[in-house]
Amino acid sequence: MAIRPILLYPHQGLKSKNEAVVPTAPAVQTVVQDLLDTLAASPGVALAAPQIGHAVQIIVVDVSRKKGETGHGLIVLLNPVILAQEGRKIVREGCLSVPDYTGNVLRYEQAIVEGVAPDGRVVTVHASGFEALAFQHEVDHLNGMLFLDRIQSLSTDLFRRKK
Amino acid sequence: MDHFAIVTAFGQDRPGIVALMADGLYQLGCNIEDTCMTRLRGEFTMMLMIRLPEGIDAETLGNRLTPYTTPLDLAVLCRSLPDQAAARQAALEVPTFMLSVYGADHPGIVAQVARTVAQQGGNITDMNTRVIGSGEVPVYVMVLEIQLQDAQQADPLRQALEQLKPLLGVDLTFRPLESVTF
Repeated sequence: MAIRPILLYPHQGLKSKNEAVVPTAPAVQTVVQDLLDTLAASPGVALAAPQIGHAVQIIVVDVSRKKGETGHGLIVLLNPVILAQEGRKIVREGCLSVPDYTGNVLRYEQAIVEGVAPDGRVVTVHASGFEALAFQHEVDHLNGMLFLDRIQSLSTDLFRRKK
Repeated sequence: MDHFAIVTAFGQDRPGIVALMADGLYQLGCNIEDTCMTRLRGEFTMMLMIRLPEGIDAETLGNRLTPYTTPLDLAVLCRSLPDQAAARQAALEVPTFMLSVYGADHPGIVAQVARTVAQQGGNITDMNTRVIGSGEVPVYVMVLEIQLQDAQQADPLRQALEQLKPLLGVDLTFRPLESVTF
């Protein structure tokens, strides 16, 4: 229904708990539409409800917005969880809610994500590559987690001291 | 109007160096902005961009820091910084690359690699080097982050770097730094 401003940290909405939703709740459609409208107006490929000020567990992911990526196209998921992930990799990651900074975080090349579609169907997505990263990042938002909480190595420091 | 300084300091590594430096700066009314600190073998090294309080210039700061840093025998240098150099900049979408170079250690690796990067218009924005390997066969490793103004400069730079391999007896890889924003 509306393009919402994307909240920037230190807005505490980005660090708060977010409620699970039932697809039939009237507010769900509004949040989903706000997410879609805001995503369409943003430079990004994915958004989570807390980024636009709704403390609920809803994400939208559409990696086809990035040149060269297709993935599964637009996916809207309520109450998504990551069931499994595989293939550890370090990724230099940034976030629309934390501008002008990137950090090296540990992510997984493949992720299986399960959630509920807006029509109530349970959906399981087998995502890989860029799309898998997008899901991991957005599910983190639902748990009040930013990439800053996952920074794995400083700068280009590949010479990690062994524990 | 804010004024800024760069403070560099180093000393034998031990617990408490950062706490001491940060406390000294805080007591003197300074604000610590961007910093980079790391341990180089047994030496802890710090570079701090500082916002100075009213009425204190970099030289005064250096003098007033001395009582704080003397107990840990830190070498400290303060220099004022042009305001524009300290201005925060939005992260630009600049083509950024990683370069790893490694090979049997000998003098000249850094100089030749850096010269090649500069000649091709590359800007080194971050760099780490280490001597690794066994005592008898030391191996030199360097990792650089390089920004180019234009992605089209990447191929000529890659070719110039390839030519260094036999000259320096090193292996290297030059690759785009993939950064994703969600």
